[in-house]
Amino acid sequence: MDQPKEKSIASRRNFLRALPPFLAGIFGYLFKGSAWAIPDHRNNKNIPKNYIQNRDIPGFHIRSANPFLGVDVNEWGLIIGGLVKKSLTLSYEDLFDFKSTKQISRLKCVECWSAKAEWEGFTFEEIVKRVQPLPEAKYVYFQSADSYYESYPLEELLRPRVLMVLKMNGNALSKNHGFPLRLIAPFKYGYKNVKYITRIDFRKERSRNYWADNGPYSIDGTIQPGIDHPLDYKKKPIPINGGEVFHFFDTPPS
Amino acid sequence: MKRAPILPYLILSFFISCSKDSVEQIEVNIPVGVVVPEEMVFIPEGDFIMGSADEKRTAKGKKKFLPAYLIDRFETSRNEYAELHSNYKFAENKGDFPATQLNYFDADSYCKLRNKRLPTEAEWEKAARGPDGRKWPWLVYYEHPNDGFSGFIPEPVAKRKDWIGPYGLYGTGHNVWEWTSDWYDYSGMPKAKRNKHKVIRGGLLQTHTMIRFSPTWYRNFQDPNNRFNFLGVRCARDIK
Repeated sequence: MDQPKEKSIASRRNFLRALPPFLAGIFGYLFKGSAWAIPDHRNNKNIPKNYIQNRDIPGFHIRSANPFLGVDVNEWGLIIGGLVKKSLTLSYEDLFDFKSTKQISRLKCVECWSAKAEWEGFTFEEIVKRVQPLPEAKYVYFQSADSYYESYPLEELLRPRVLMVLKMNGNALSKNHGFPLRLIAPFKYGYKNVKYITRIDFRKERSRNYWADNGPYSIDGTIQPGIDHPLDYKKKPIPINGGEVFHFFDTPPS
Repeated sequence: MKRAPILPYLILSFFISCSKDSVEQIEVNIPVGVVVPEEMVFIPEGDFIMGSADEKRTAKGKKKFLPAYLIDRFETSRNEYAELHSNYKFAENKGDFPATQLNYFDADSYCKLRNKRLPTEAEWEKAARGPDGRKWPWLVYYEHPNDGFSGFIPEPVAKRKDWIGPYGLYGTGHNVWEWTSDWYDYSGMPKAKRNKHKVIRGGLLQTHTMIRFSPTWYRNFQDPNNRFNFLGVRCARDIK
């Protein structure tokens, strides 16, 4: 990397971290986090191969609402604000200061398939302890680097097995799976498990989410009792009981 | 002796029972001295067919006898739940929708506060299904009108008169799933998996944007600590 460009990137990151949180919040809102405004490739039939886009990868499919190149960690910062006592701006390295926890859980896409992985990260409670939401902050809004957005009741983010994830299967998240930071809420459909998070906002009212605005999908997104087609079971249809997907009574094919 | 022609009556009763807006109700004789609260239904003692012969994790269509009991006609509404739990919040105009986000312990304790209890799984199924082993409480198969949407859309507990069962229960096979008192198990279940989940009954089955009613014999289960938007409660009571 060129010295002048390296200096420029470091300067931009330090600039963002040095801003008072409320100004960082405005900055982040105007530029949707560190990815700035990104082009809309949703209807592009000729997306370059190096873009993150929908791909049916055996083992774990990739889904991306708006294809983009991914996040440059040197230009990324996580802005946390809204109805909180202490707004924060965090670098990627800062996220590793939170208490780490691991779990194996399935991601179940609303489209039917599911895939299992080991996820490592920290609980949302770690963020809550740092920013101290005000009593009227009942909801949380997430902004993503690819222009995606999600919202949750705060109470749901504090349930067991909800993680802010940094690693997948022992390695840092790949760009396809949400680098540098994503949410895993195993009792919610995959579209609720927001990737490339750039901003977290605590709010009084519930906001809508991307797929409720762009398709026949619910804001709530809780996995309903129905059928799963797990990729590790060769997509065999298996009944599921609702909430986090476990195949208690079936074993994967050898 | 000449027999009266039965065919016209059979045809007439078929049309009555299959009318979209009415489900033929079983006439029940309530024993003298039994008081049936307005919100409950009396289920008489007797046999019913439980499970499905085609589903191995059910009672497989065997006959089962139950003594008489009472069961709520409707799923517990948000207004009803909030009468006893002032911190239970919901949208102002949605009080007649089913109470949800209740785990097993919330449901069990609510019923006890009402001097009731959770139904057993068998009680739930007999009350929903009647004695004739039907697949749908309302006998006839319907497509769900909300097909084409991925999320759960609850409805007021008393809304769908055309989707009631033969004993007059509403919301069995649609709206929310309901806690029962039984642990989920089945013949041949590994010992290590027993006593971990409670049986839930009677909600919708949703896959992507396809929404389906659950058949009368369909067994579902949940960790008793779980709370979801699709899970509520209906209470029962012994005959005193």
